[in-house]
Amino acid sequence: MGPGGEQSRGGRPPKGLLEARGVEVEIAGTQILRGADLDLGDGELVAIVGPNGAGKSTLVRAVSGLQRPNAGNVRWSGRELSDMRGRDLARVRAFVPQRMPVPAGVTVREAVTIGRSSHLKPLSRLTGADREGVERAMERAGVARFAERSLTTLSGGELQRVQIGIGLAQEAPVLIADEPTSQLDLGATVGVAGLLRSLVGEGLAVLLVVHDLSLAAAIADRVVVVSEGRTVASGEATAVLSHERLAEVWGADARLTEHEGRTALHVAWVGP
Amino acid sequence: MARRTAVYATLLAALAAATVASLAFGAVQVPIGDVIDILFGGGGTATQQQIVETLRLPRTVEALVVGAALGIAGAILQGALGNPLASPDVIGVTGGAGFGAILIIILFPGSIALLPVGALFFGLLAAAMVFVFAWSGRNRGSTGKVILAGIAMLSLFTAGTTGLLAAYPERAPSAIFFIAGGLTSSGWEEIKTIWPYFAVGFLIALMLIRPLDRLALGDDVAASLGSRPQLIRLGAGVAAALLAAASAAIAGLLGFLGLVVPHVVRMAGGTSSHTFVVPASALGGAALLVAGDTLARTLRAPIEMPVGPFMVLLGVPLFLWLLRKAV
Repeated sequence: MGPGGEQSRGGRPPKGLLEARGVEVEIAGTQILRGADLDLGDGELVAIVGPNGAGKSTLVRAVSGLQRPNAGNVRWSGRELSDMRGRDLARVRAFVPQRMPVPAGVTVREAVTIGRSSHLKPLSRLTGADREGVERAMERAGVARFAERSLTTLSGGELQRVQIGIGLAQEAPVLIADEPTSQLDLGATVGVAGLLRSLVGEGLAVLLVVHDLSLAAAIADRVVVVSEGRTVASGEATAVLSHERLAEVWGADARLTEHEGRTALHVAWVGP
Repeated sequence: MARRTAVYATLLAALAAATVASLAFGAVQVPIGDVIDILFGGGGTATQQQIVETLRLPRTVEALVVGAALGIAGAILQGALGNPLASPDVIGVTGGAGFGAILIIILFPGSIALLPVGALFFGLLAAAMVFVFAWSGRNRGSTGKVILAGIAMLSLFTAGTTGLLAAYPERAPSAIFFIAGGLTSSGWEEIKTIWPYFAVGFLIALMLIRPLDRLALGDDVAASLGSRPQLIRLGAGVAAALLAAASAAIAGLLGFLGLVVPHVVRMAGGTSSHTFVVPASALGGAALLVAGDTLARTLRAPIEMPVGPFMVLLGVPLFLWLLRKAV
């Protein structure tokens, strides 16, 4: 689906939804991003990987409009990010945070309905189409069967699905998620990974920040490596996450393997 | 949902009962049937008409408006700052309004008509200073900065108030009624001056209900949906400042109401959704203030007591009872 092979930084931009070039972000005097590039094509699942503090989250926040870049250029379907208002942005991308606060007594349906509110004018009420949109988002996220439960009673995996449901209710063509599985157990992670992959199958484009490299390799069409505030590689997982690169970027002696849809990272945990 | 409907029904019933009682009871008792006749034109004696229409009706309307305003101010501030301790005190309004009123009472006792204006002006000034300090430098508009700047401003203006009272102890007694909080039977004049501030405050609060529900899911979700979290907080602060300063201008310092009513409503309704909490806090605040005011002027009639202490007597047991069940 995505462009295969390795593509160098600043190479030929693929035609697509998102095009970010030379993004720089400084937060409280610290340079977090030093010129990062990112592309996302129609119906593509891109995983952003990199060590702690490399700037992965800052990169997705910057392209989402949640963090103002100091330099660089971000375009959504050709439109400059800096020219877009909040309502326009809500229609091109949904941002799913790692873990949202959980207000007391709010049900799953109410939370997903809040996600739909980006379609409403101030003070206007939900229309029939909006209610259908909420039901559809809950069905797609797999939360419809516990729609009336309160958020405070949900497990981590269920809550993550609700967060994705809130994003889906925006009905934007792109879903951006910051480490959606980092606090989940194995079963819940498999569930969320399957959900994201099936959403891509329905035509959604997904941008993920992922820590787990074997998970990234399994679900992504393309992997983007961020290191020290720069994108250093982009391409198919097994090509990009080579033994040499794992050593260079993560400082680890590790090998990524793939066999019949199962991926594994073989790590020399205590050195050679 | 059924639970929320039950809470709305209870609040509406309490509000209706308190309103009728407020119009009927006082130094002179007017039968409830006559009260209703007078309100719908005709009925009652001329004296009864005069008491209800020129004394009790304006006072009841003031209590309704101020109670609703303080309930809403507390609800939107607690939502916007994500902090259960937030109330009009926390953004400096109460401290500023108290200072403004005491300044007029003590330094310009001849121009007591300026009291509402003084309370309103200094209440809004204190809130504006809180926002200026909280929205400058790093972490602009963060909850912690707003609350700390608010507490600092509250201390500053309270010190000013205490200083004035200490310098002119002979004039302090006339200030006590304002500090305790209470309504007066002074007709429609005050509300005629102050209503635009209430109107703008109510309107902003109404526009903020949905953005506050977004903010409850976190700044990131709110931003994903196209809102600007800091703008929501600023809007909530401005609306709460207008409502609380206008309330202080009419009824003195009743900060307790803004703190407690939204909590009672949340615990009773079992939800923190602003679609429910904001309107229910308006109803609850209005019912509580009208009931408290009625009690304050009937228990030892014809002596009137400040409504503040009565509301605390009514509100605190209910609050503690709900708190025990909630935790």
